[in-house]
Amino acid sequence: MKMEEVSMSSLDNSKLEGLAQDILSDLVEDACLGLCFEVHRAVKQGYFFLDDTDQESMRDYEIVDQPGVDVFGQVYNQWKNKECVCPNCSRSIAASRFAPHLEKCLGMGRNSSRIANRRIVTGNNTNNKSESDQEDNDDVNDNDWSYGAEKKAKKRKSDKVLEKIPCALFSLRECCIAPRWRCILMSHPVYLLKKFNAPLSIRALHERKSS
Amino acid sequence: MSKDSRMRATINQKLTEMGERERLKELLRAKLTECGWKDQMKAHCKEVIKEKGLEHVTVEDLVVEITPKGRALVPDSVKKELLQRIRAFLAQHAT
Repeated sequence: MKMEEVSMSSLDNSKLEGLAQDILSDLVEDACLGLCFEVHRAVKQGYFFLDDTDQESMRDYEIVDQPGVDVFGQVYNQWKNKECVCPNCSRSIAASRFAPHLEKCLGMGRNSSRIANRRIVTGNNTNNKSESDQEDNDDVNDNDWSYGAEKKAKKRKSDKVLEKIPCALFSLRECCIAPRWRCILMSHPVYLLKKFNAPLSIRALHERKSS
Repeated sequence: MSKDSRMRATINQKLTEMGERERLKELLRAKLTECGWKDQMKAHCKEVIKEKGLEHVTVEDLVVEITPKGRALVPDSVKKELLQRIRAFLAQHAT
């Protein structure tokens, strides 16, 4: 080992450079050899020329570069202005809006028109009006499940309403709390309110209720 | 002279033992694929094979035809990078 060290230190720069060049050409030759083996094997197994095609068939797949036509030569946007007829309400709806419409129309989504539908049904039945109205209010205030800024605004409003309710008159059933909070308030300990990030006013209600 | 070749052998052995040769090979392979060298070479292979005939081509034929071209086509930037790595290795281990 010591002998090696000594002998290697005697290498001067030009020799080192030569050595580096030799190693590089070794590596390149290795790469070439590897490629040769790879290609040879591919040829003998018969998959080397698989991706070769003749000029004729290539022409079929050329990229089309003409105005009003996509790369495959088809007219694009041909479906843009198509309209579909809703099987439920028989209105015609733009194809791109059809799926969301159908969802609401059939009453499947969270924001479906079931509330409106119920209103129509109960509107005919005047006897039940007072009760259904109350329930509708309930659902309208169930803004937990709707999206966006509207939700925030409504929520803040309902929080204000809550703060106005006097402690003595306070009843969980009648106040307009979203059902989510109501059920937590009625049955669960305070840590759940914190966990679900309840508004401060709801936490305050909880404290009032338990005191 | 024999001393010189002995040193070369030692360095080469170290290169292999420490796994640096394998790493360099991998780096070179990646760089060559990246820069299109491999595709060029494959195109060249196709010519050679068509010339010799699909059935009769041998690995030796390919090596003889391909290696000189392959060496010439390696881009300078790749060469430079590899050389730098090799020099760094030599500087570390040949002192």
